[in-house]
Parts: sequence; C-alpha cells; structure tokens
Amino acid sequence: MLGELVAGAAGGLVLIQDTVDCEGRSLLKTFVAASVRRGESVHVFGFEIPEEEFRAGFDPDVAAQLLYQDGFTDPLCWNGKTGGFRVEEFSVLGVVTRLQRGPVGSATIILDSLSWLLLRRPVPALCQTLAQIPRAAANAGLRVTRIVVLLHGDLHPLGLVDTLHSLARAVVWVGPAPEGMRSKEDAHQLASMLQRKGSGKVVKKEEYFSILTGFTLKAFGEPTRNTPPDEDADSHSAVDTAAYLTFNLQLSDTERQARDRVPLPFHFSAQKKSSLLEASAGTGKIYYEPDATDDLDEEDPDDDLDV
Amino acid sequence: MAALATGGATSSDGATSFQRKVPANSRLATIAGTRPSVRHGQLLLSSGLPSLDCVLGGGLAVGTLLLIGEDKYNIYSSLLFKYFLAEGIVCGHNLFVASAKEDPADILKELPAPILDDVHKKQLDEEESAVISKQDSRESMKIAWRYQNLPKMEVSPAVSARFGHYYDLSKTLSPELLQSRKWHRFFLPEELSLQSEIKTCNMTCGYTRLLQSIQRIICQEGFDGSYPQKKQKNILRIGIQSLGSVLWGDDICCTDNPEYIHSLTTFLYVLRGLLRMSLSACIITVPSHLIQNKAIMERVTNLSDTVVGLESFIGSERETNPLYKDYHGLIHVHQIPQLNSLICDVSGTKDLAFRLKRKLFSIERLHLPPDLSDTVSRSSKQDLAESTKLLSSGCGAMATGKKHLDF
Repeated sequence: MLGELVAGAAGGLVLIQDTVDCEGRSLLKTFVAASVRRGESVHVFGFEIPEEEFRAGFDPDVAAQLLYQDGFTDPLCWNGKTGGFRVEEFSVLGVVTRLQRGPVGSATIILDSLSWLLLRRPVPALCQTLAQIPRAAANAGLRVTRIVVLLHGDLHPLGLVDTLHSLARAVVWVGPAPEGMRSKEDAHQLASMLQRKGSGKVVKKEEYFSILTGFTLKAFGEPTRNTPPDEDADSHSAVDTAAYLTFNLQLSDTERQARDRVPLPFHFSAQKKSSLLEASAGTGKIYYEPDATDDLDEEDPDDDLDV
Repeated sequence: MAALATGGATSSDGATSFQRKVPANSRLATIAGTRPSVRHGQLLLSSGLPSLDCVLGGGLAVGTLLLIGEDKYNIYSSLLFKYFLAEGIVCGHNLFVASAKEDPADILKELPAPILDDVHKKQLDEEESAVISKQDSRESMKIAWRYQNLPKMEVSPAVSARFGHYYDLSKTLSPELLQSRKWHRFFLPEELSLQSEIKTCNMTCGYTRLLQSIQRIICQEGFDGSYPQKKQKNILRIGIQSLGSVLWGDDICCTDNPEYIHSLTTFLYVLRGLLRMSLSACIITVPSHLIQNKAIMERVTNLSDTVVGLESFIGSERETNPLYKDYHGLIHVHQIPQLNSLICDVSGTKDLAFRLKRKLFSIERLHLPPDLSDTVSRSSKQDLAESTKLLSSGCGAMATGKKHLDF
C-alpha cells in the first residue's frame, strides 16, 4: 500500500509523521521523486534545511525539475532581500502566487515541514489555508492534486496531531523496524498507514520499507502478526462438561431414538395443534355453551334481587 | 388529532385491535412532514432515521437543536447529517446548509434517495414472508408449540411507517427534486473572502458570520411569523457540519487552553434563541473526540437540546470483539430535552448499537449474550463474568483482573 501512496493513489492532504527515533524526510523525498518522474510539477516549500541539503541525493534530472521556495535562509526577511519565502507569505494568496510561477498543469505541493509552520503561525488560520489552497489554485487555473507535508509528531500536543489527522486524507506514521527485521531483510523502517477513501471507507495497514539511493522505495511485506494463543477458545473447547463426571450423562444413538419416541404429555395430534394455533392468531373469542343447570337471567345475573 | 391517522395497530403488530376514531375533517392546519407529539404536545419532525426517532421519543421537536458527537473518522455522523437534510427535501421543508469543509452544493448532491412507500411495503412483506417460511422450515417446536406462530422478540424499537422515511444509500436524490425545493447555503471560505474580518461578542468571525446569515434567512423568509398573511407555513431545517473544528477558525480542538474558549458556547446560546423563536430545527455535528478540554463539551451538552454521541468500531480494538460482531458502532444518548414537562423521555436501555446496511440504518439494543463460562454458577468467587469484561463499561473497567476479593 505504501507503494501505491507514493505512486499517487491519495489526493488531498497526505501527512507523513515521524518521530525522534526515525526521520521521515527520506520518505518525503521519495514522494517528491516519484511525483517528478510522473511528470507533475513539484513545488517544494522548505523551511527546516537549506536548499542544497534538500536537493542532495536526488538524481540530477529530478533535482533540476524541483521548484524550490526557500523559507530557510531568511524567513522573517531581516536581510531585506526579496526572493526568499517569508513566513507571513504562507497564506492562500501567497502560496497561489508562488504556484503561478511554475508551469500549468497538475501540481504537487511539498511542505518541509508543517511543524515549523505550526510553531510560528496561528493554527486555525494555517489549517484553513491548507484546506483552501486547492480551491484557490483551481480558481487561478492550476490543479493541485496533493499536498504532502512532513509533521514531527513529538513537537506538538496530542490534540493538535489528532486534529491534523482528521484533516488529512492519508497519514503515514514512520517508525524504526523492530530489531529482528532490521538485520534479516534490510528493512529499515516500519510504516503504519491510514487512508480515507472517497466512499467513506478507512483502510489501515502496516508495511516494512526501506529507501534506496535516488529515493526509490522498496516495500517489503506486512509484519506477520503473532497473536497470543487464544485462551478463551481453548478453554471453551476443553470444557466438556460431561467428560469428568462419575455418572453417565451421555446418550448413545439408540437411547436418543428411544427418547424421541416417548410421547409427551399434552401431545396433541397435528390437526388439533394447527386448529388451536390458527384460532389463537386472531382476536380473542370466548366460546361458551351453557349447561342444563345454567340459568342465565340478563336482568338479574347474581340471582339476588327480590323480584 | 388529525395527523395521528395511523394510530391503530394492524394485525401484523400483534398488539391490539383497537382503532382510533379519526374526525372527518380536521380544523388544525398541519405542516407537511410534522406531527404532534403525544407526550408533550410539541410539533415533531423526523430526523431522517426512523430508529433514531424512536430513541429520541418520537422525533425532533421544532425549535430544538440536535447535536451529534462525531465518530472518529466522521463516517456515520456525516451519514446522519445527510439523512436529516434528505428528510427535509422529501417533506418539502426549506434547508440551510452550512459547512467549512465542503461546498454545500456538493453535500446536497450526495443525499440518499428515499425508498418510496409501495416499494418499501413490498420489501417489508417479502421480508415477513421470508421470516415466516423460515419458521416453517425450521423444526417445529415440540413442547412449546403454542408459541410457534408468535412473532419473534423485537430487537429494534417499533417504528411507525408514515412519519419517517427510509433511504437507499446506493442512489442519490434526483436533481429535479432538489431544484424544486428552496435551500440556502453558507460556505465559510466564500464568506470570509467577501468581507473583512470582524470579531464581535467573544466569538470567532466565522460563527458571527454564520449567526448573521441564519438570522437574515429566518427574518426574510418569515419563519419567525413575521408574515402572518402567508397561509402555508414551512419549516427551516438548518444543518451545520463539523462545528468547532479547526476549519471554522476555532482552536478548541487543538490546544488545552484555547484562546476563544467561549466561542462555541456563545454561538450555541444565540443559536438556540434563534431556533426557539422560529419554526426551525437544527442539526450540528461536533468533533467531540477532538475537543481537549472536557469542560467545553459539558457546557456544549448543557446548551443543546438533544445530544447523541457516535462511536464507531472501525480501527479500534472493539472491531474484533465477538460481542460487537454484528454492529458497526455504539450510540450514546447523552441528553434528551425536557420540553414543557418535568421529566424527559428517557428510554430504559442505555446500551444502543447501530448497524448500517445499504437501505437501513438500524439502532438496536445491545444484548449481552448468556455467560457460558465455567465460573458462572459459582457464588463464592468474585470473578468478573467474561461478557462484562468484553463490554468494559465503567464498572467492569474498575475491577479488572481475575483475582477475587477475600475478606
């Protein structure tokens, strides 16, 4: 599933969440490389590392096609030089203006990283901006297919991280693979993914992967889950209540047939049963046939009037 | 009362054969899609889901607010939202759709189509005949044969067929029907781009704008009785999606100490005043699982009328729990309003689960299965029964572990 995500299966906001133990920038660069190879124009907004460091490791043709907006060198515009990307410029208008400098067609926006922006801009405005960029770009004639962002999960409170997950279409948690896997098959990292499909379905999966040179992805299979032995099922099957008794509770076949043949009390014939059943299905009716000794007088039912 | 024409039970209900005497001509003008409540005399609307109507005591009263706490991935709450709006379209009410995430026109395009009466009746008959034939083919009871033809115990509350409608999720509402109804929209990104930001009375700008919009529609269209010469009254159904989320400009979902902590509660206070003075009903979905400060959710519950929380099993550990294998999630009814009465209409069961099929969203009582483990009949040990451990409700969670108490 990770391969499909990298190949562009998810549109909208794609969140890559890494931790202190395992960095996610290489996976982000994998998304970048795959996007460039697909022919989309990729706009990278870099804030955390200098441009040369970001471009390092890509193939030369891929690196040449990246449209880099430098937010690292001078984000607050202290030097007074224009050209860099200022942090206040990250609004819908500012981003779309930068996007318009590139070629028309489908565009992918890469944010490295969203954590940097969350610490410097008010959160609600930032989330609204992220949600409105595709719409504003469509008004300006561009088509933003996806926004891939890097989020450092350790830097933010849980509530904020949950909110961002609810906004994202796909979330990839990157973590180190457990010890055994790492030595065996060269799978360095474990990715847990969550994708919301259009029909409302939610798909969750885990996969091992490693990143090769040139930022191509090599995905291994899913981790085999060794479930703890299901104790309840065992105990239920083992509970055979008739097994350890000192008296015999079991029935042999002949005994069972003999038991079936014993007539039950109030065992009516089939006709009487069906007639009784049908009569009771409707409204209640009382059938009364007076005896010979019964003398029903309508005016004096209790027979106590002195008439 | 004229609208209670179907008060009499048919023989398939099996309850009674009494028929209610209906007067020949009614003097009360009724609004389409509403019926008076037998309990507190308010006018009731259907929430779009007949089983939810039963849980809420017959329906949603006009002038009240239905608040839905979203489930984790916002699948079922958006479904309830769509059912509410679709019911408004089918009954001919006016709609007001507000959202910060999706364009209201897109929301309306995805509304499910209603299952029309005769088709549904035929299906109900088919289901009944299937059940009866299944009963025949089943081995007839030997000892308890008198109970053979009685209907099975009802798991879902009884439903009256005329008031609410059932919807087919695989089909969408026909565009002609949509165009014939009048509806109003509020899409936050559009509104914010039109005018500059203003902040009034402690509320974020988005909420202020939304309240002004709702008030304008209510006054202009006469839902508050300002055009008494208009004979045919109608109901305004207001739907607000994901109120309180980050996209409305509110930060209660992000931090423990939000800057606009009273923004949402002020909004609800003013909104409820607007609802009470007009012929309208409102549904709001709130991402309650994201709100960090629990006090905010308490205040929000107090300020709303009917509060229902959804909890879906997708992705949680309860998905594999055998107790819940037939269901898709749980419904928690947190509050039912006391309108013109001293007590509210609370149903006896607190454990309600829901199940979504293509044509039916049913809410059923959750039954604990009989406990067949070997510690059941032993009264000396204080072990927890296995099924309560599975439920892990409040009491069960406190006393976990297999140790028994020794005194």
